Amino acid sequence: MGKVRFVGHRDVARIVERALRRCGVPITYSEGFSPRVRMSFGLALPTCYESEAEYLDVPLSPDSIVDGQIACIGWGQGKLHNEQQMQIALSEALPTGFDVVALTVEPKGGGSLQETVVTCGWKFDILGAVAREVEDAIERALAGSEIETERKKKNELVRENIRYGVYDLRMDGESERGPIVIAELSAKPRVIRPSELVDVLAPGAEMGIARRTHQWIEHEGQWQEPLTPSKSPQLKEYS
Amino acid sequence: MTSLWPRLEPLLPRVEKPARYIGCEDGACTDIYKPDATSWLLTYPDTYEIGLPNQGLQILYELLNERPDAFAERSYAPWTDMEAQMRSNGLPLFSVDTHRPAEEFDILAFNLSAELVYTNVLNCIDLAGLAVRASQRGDADPLIGAGGHCAYNPEPLADFIDFFVMGDGEEVIAEITTTVGEWRKSGKPPGSRENVLRALTQIAGVYVPSMYEATYDGTKLVGVQPKHPDVPVSVQKRTVADLADWPYPRNQLVPLTEVVHDRLNVEIFRGCTRGCRFCQAGMITRPVRERPASQVREMVSKGLERTGYDEVSLTSLSTADFSNIEEVVTGTIDEPGTCGRVSVSLPSLRVDAFTVGVAAQVSRARRTGLTFAPEAGSWRMRQIINKLVTEEDLYEAVRSAYSQGWHRMKLYFLTGLPSEMDEDTLAIADLAENCVAIGQEYTKKASVTVSLGGFVPKPHTPFQWFGQNESAELRRKVELLRERLRRNKRVHLKWHAPEASTAEGITSRGDRRVGRVIEHVWRHGGTFQEWSEHFDLTLWEEAMRASELDIEWYVHRHRDENEVLPWDHIHAGLHKDFLWQDWQDALAGFGLEDCRWTPCYDCGACTEYGIEHVVASPVPPNGGSQGTGQDLAIGHVVPVDLRPRAEVGGT
Repeated sequence: MGKVRFVGHRDVARIVERALRRCGVPITYSEGFSPRVRMSFGLALPTCYESEAEYLDVPLSPDSIVDGQIACIGWGQGKLHNEQQMQIALSEALPTGFDVVALTVEPKGGGSLQETVVTCGWKFDILGAVAREVEDAIERALAGSEIETERKKKNELVRENIRYGVYDLRMDGESERGPIVIAELSAKPRVIRPSELVDVLAPGAEMGIARRTHQWIEHEGQWQEPLTPSKSPQLKEYS
Repeated sequence: MTSLWPRLEPLLPRVEKPARYIGCEDGACTDIYKPDATSWLLTYPDTYEIGLPNQGLQILYELLNERPDAFAERSYAPWTDMEAQMRSNGLPLFSVDTHRPAEEFDILAFNLSAELVYTNVLNCIDLAGLAVRASQRGDADPLIGAGGHCAYNPEPLADFIDFFVMGDGEEVIAEITTTVGEWRKSGKPPGSRENVLRALTQIAGVYVPSMYEATYDGTKLVGVQPKHPDVPVSVQKRTVADLADWPYPRNQLVPLTEVVHDRLNVEIFRGCTRGCRFCQAGMITRPVRERPASQVREMVSKGLERTGYDEVSLTSLSTADFSNIEEVVTGTIDEPGTCGRVSVSLPSLRVDAFTVGVAAQVSRARRTGLTFAPEAGSWRMRQIINKLVTEEDLYEAVRSAYSQGWHRMKLYFLTGLPSEMDEDTLAIADLAENCVAIGQEYTKKASVTVSLGGFVPKPHTPFQWFGQNESAELRRKVELLRERLRRNKRVHLKWHAPEASTAEGITSRGDRRVGRVIEHVWRHGGTFQEWSEHFDLTLWEEAMRASELDIEWYVHRHRDENEVLPWDHIHAGLHKDFLWQDWQDALAGFGLEDCRWTPCYDCGACTEYGIEHVVASPVPPNGGSQGTGQDLAIGHVVPVDLRPRAEVGGT
């Protein structure tokens, strides 16, 4: 959150990798001529978006869990961290704007946290739009069976009806930039982005700041979040 | 202080790579604002990705921020899309640390590491909201400074820059801070700008071009003379005597977005006396000052732990020459904190110092790219440029690498060197093919990339008198080599655009009149000239015509001994007659030893300033060919004649 929302997701992976190394997390590497750290982000967060719900799977080396604690290696050699201690250490090692709000060690063979994400929750504002008009547009969109959007795909304009993927859409007050919209949009078969809705809700307007608030997975017929935050996101001070 | 962030933020979604403009690096200083201190905006006139890793800028950034009477922030040239957004929204150049406007700083200091960035310097001054010509700036406007290797010929930028700094910046920035601080405290009243500039001329290593007048006789330069009696006739470079006193940067910046050299960089020595005659860096940074091996190890270890990087580059002008290179590489890889997963990259490897031992150590972790720079294909040519590495040296180094698991390497060559003939150019192909043949003894995948650059003569080198090849001639040589290598799929040829070498030639040895050319190119949209997608030679040709200057005269003409050179009033310690003698020796094919391991031949770099080499080992690593009295004739057509030292150089 904050200025770091302008960092692309490949760069975020590099940032996380450095933090894992600084904290001595017992990470594992791929085989081959140029081994890479094994870790997987689920749905890439678009550049310029904020998020308070990103998930990351990091396979640990098998012998690194001692009495339920993580035995650190490298720069953390000699330290034994429980989940909470590791969460704090990683948060501190990450740059301002990044925060680890939940961390859990899963047994080997446990599923990936994010492979079954079905929808994402979003919150975004629309620059300079008129609240009344946005509210009307939302009402019209939800009442109909079509929400026609346009997006660029390989330099081609693709028109698509995305009504199927809009699970929730409502206004939630206003920021200094414009009306705030809450949306829950499908992540399958593709991630629908809030920016696609802006032209529907306020033709010609620009999106302000968008934030992913949730990633919902389907587990035994129930929708739930992969992890429950153990603390609310702390935005470290920056000028 | 003003932050432009609220106005900048809405523009960022509209530009490529917005992370270039946010700052937020680990190691960045954002709480350093001191209302009564001298403020520096250290500006790199190229993109963030190129500029962020610059070690010189980072060292000064830290040193200034440690001072109670100064603080420094950083800025980089905005890419063209961002510039368009900034101009249409009335946003000036800003610092990435706190997003303050450039105009609020006392000093805008540019790092000049390549000549083709000069138009970007003008663009940045203009974006800051200042007049590009120094004479048109107001009393209270920030002072524009510049340093870096290109500052050694300051004349092409003389009309735009208020002061230049020659040589190492570590010490001189303190003196500049004090002088500018007094001006700041005075409230910068009308007329005071002239006074502060005059005061700056009294600091050794500082050149204030407006205090000097260039005179001409027709096209010929007569001289660059001080306008006032207290202004020094010549400006001497600054040199820090011992790198051990300067273990910087302590907190290397870790960017949030990928940049070039995205790893820990530790400078292991400064200066080089191998004496390659084309190499400006090797001439102007003498003598060799090694960092103690223990300090290198500490900087590497602390740096890796602090940053989380898994790669470290040991930087210098010729890394394999470091006295304790094998020990430092081994120690780094054995460092427990790295779990054996650290890659050590050794840029600027000299083939006669790269051993199987070093290769074996480096290959224990992830292998990094290997680049060797034989620079010329034939032994005759390497004698002329004084890069006295034999073919056997190269093949041994290549064998070391392939035997330790490398599949490919890069070989760097120059073309357009003095007295170069087609057989010298074609010899590059022979060398490359022989390297591949050695590689194929170890792996079927063996390949070599040949990177070919057009030679541009540089000030303060023995080749400063040489007329540069025309771009058509460079192009012909590239084609010659390309044709020769066309059928060989194992040798990949890459080359730099010869046209860019012409523009570089104009600016590299230009005089004060070339300022008009730079301004013309900039005013006609010629920014980012280092980038092939933006480079346009016709802009430079038009600018030369409009300024009534002749490319042939500036770039392709041989100079004679008595010609006044535009940088004659700037001193890197080197005696001009040493350089001339070395130029004559070059043409005669005489070699010159490396004085770090052999007695001094008085080039001037040490004797002028009362300093000397700081080198841990009295002998070259690997018993390299040069400077050891070995028979350099073995296996070669022309035996090298190492010139008796007494006859060389000196005044």
